[in-house]
Amino acid sequence: MSAIEVSQLTKTFTTHRKEAGLKGSFKGLFSRKPLYKEAVKSVSFSLEEGELVGFLGPNGAGKTTLLKMLSGILYPTSGEARVLSFTPWQRDRAYQRQFSIVMGHKNQLWWDLPPAESFLLNRDIYGVKQIDFQKSLDEMVELLKLKDLLDVPVRQLSLGERMKCELVAALLHQPRVLFLDEPTIGLDVISQEKIRSFIQEYNRLKKTTVLLTSHYMQDVEQLCKRVLVINHGRIAFDGMLSELSQRYIDHKVIKVRFADAQTTTPPPGLEGVEVWDAHHAVLKVKKKEVAHTTQRLLEGYRIEDLSVEEMEIEEVIRRIFAEAPEESLRNRP
Amino acid sequence: MKLLVNKLTKIFVRYFALYRSFLSHNLKNEMIYRANFAINVGMDIFFMMMNVLFFSILYGNVETVGGWTFHQTLILVGSVGIVRELAYLTFRKGFLELGNYVRTGNFDVMLTSPIAPAAHLAFRHVSLTDSLGEGLMGLLLVVYGFLHLSNASWIGIPFYLLMLVNSLVIYYALCLLINSLVFWLVKSQELNTVVYYFINTARYPREIYHGLGKIFFTFILPSSLIATTPAAILVGRANPSLVLISLSVAGGGLILGLFVWNWSLNFYSSASS
Repeated sequence: MSAIEVSQLTKTFTTHRKEAGLKGSFKGLFSRKPLYKEAVKSVSFSLEEGELVGFLGPNGAGKTTLLKMLSGILYPTSGEARVLSFTPWQRDRAYQRQFSIVMGHKNQLWWDLPPAESFLLNRDIYGVKQIDFQKSLDEMVELLKLKDLLDVPVRQLSLGERMKCELVAALLHQPRVLFLDEPTIGLDVISQEKIRSFIQEYNRLKKTTVLLTSHYMQDVEQLCKRVLVINHGRIAFDGMLSELSQRYIDHKVIKVRFADAQTTTPPPGLEGVEVWDAHHAVLKVKKKEVAHTTQRLLEGYRIEDLSVEEMEIEEVIRRIFAEAPEESLRNRP
Repeated sequence: MKLLVNKLTKIFVRYFALYRSFLSHNLKNEMIYRANFAINVGMDIFFMMMNVLFFSILYGNVETVGGWTFHQTLILVGSVGIVRELAYLTFRKGFLELGNYVRTGNFDVMLTSPIAPAAHLAFRHVSLTDSLGEGLMGLLLVVYGFLHLSNASWIGIPFYLLMLVNSLVIYYALCLLINSLVFWLVKSQELNTVVYYFINTARYPREIYHGLGKIFFTFILPSSLIATTPAAILVGRANPSLVLISLSVAGGGLILGLFVWNWSLNFYSSASS
């Protein structure tokens, strides 16, 4: 059974054009021209229960707007969505008890109090029984190694520590659906890795349906088999991460380490050279050319090490985003 | 009917428990900033003293204002302080913060947790200290005024308390109605300045208004009912029509306020991440 079903969901924001300067501000007091921005355009997809799906897209692609509609924060302009059989923007309390949203940019914990206090309050808000609360809390404190931080005021925690606590606060009521909006944003590499491992482990243990937005490829590569790529409000790709590479990658990367020092100019006629120095070379070549190029390198040089690698997924995403034309604000809804 | 009563009781019990939980968290939060607490209480007492001084000077020249004697007026002024403190203890500060929540997009959390957003906003900032000085001073004035009444009757006290709660409902309904505009205007400071001046006019007896003014301050901005109705009961000046008007304005205002507020929530546009 689908946990999330989205059909033709569209959200148009209305803003107003304002000319620069004091004169423009004064004019704006009397007449304002409305501008319409379609942040999400006829988006459709579905997620099965227990799936962990990555939602990729550059800033302003519509990822957060979509998550906000699915969590009932925003009303859509048109279209439908059902999450756990509820219409999110009807804000049914029964639905609100079964999902959680964590936003990397926003702090939901009480700033001046230790996280343990916010956890207790969330226990009361979600009506979690003390025994279940303690069990969940102990499990997550153990997984995230948070024991020493529970009594430290939130304002004194590092960004990484705070994000771990945000996750605990969001999961204490054991939601069936979890929306994660950039949970690793701004974190150092070690904290990012810890958060990722936690999400992975939590999804494996609890079978929670997770929709994760990020523009960090490592998040998606480590956590998600399936990805939705969104750009300019439209779904550009919905499928397995491996398919994404197959569909968009027509090149491979050949990396070479020479046994002897070479001249720093590549031989004529060798295509796709990206790096060529005395000891290394990196070539990006078309898939069908890989065998031929490899053979030529092996015949022409004494080689210590040679590898043929897939192009990085980040490059693939960059291509998808580059393909779609930029759209601007419109004067009509 | 029994089902409805059970359901309402369950809701009341849940929200009361939530209120207690939020109050305890807010108290812990307020205790961190002790200096702030002392300044708040000091300021409140100072402004209440100014009010008393103003009326002392006024009554130095006249016997009654709108038919109210000096001691009756002390009860009126004191009641405004009590209603204000009760408002801070239940909902007022949340509305003062609403503009910030909407502007920064932090209102999101109020729309995703399983509590009515209006209650969540109110409980998130319940404050004992913000108007404590005014509340305590108000209580003192009411007690002092009551003890100096020639016709003081203890029977009026429970009805007085009941009408204080009714005034609180009127105040809440007005806050809901006015603050619903925040979802379009984004900033709420100016809106709450309107509410502030509105509640300030509550310290004058209702009898000073006539004609259109009386209608305006009864049904549009019902400040003339907030302190006058409970105080009139305590000093023995109340009549059934005044009580009935107060109850109707509170009930009607609350229904209208909740309706407009819930409708306005659909226009919340959050903020970019």
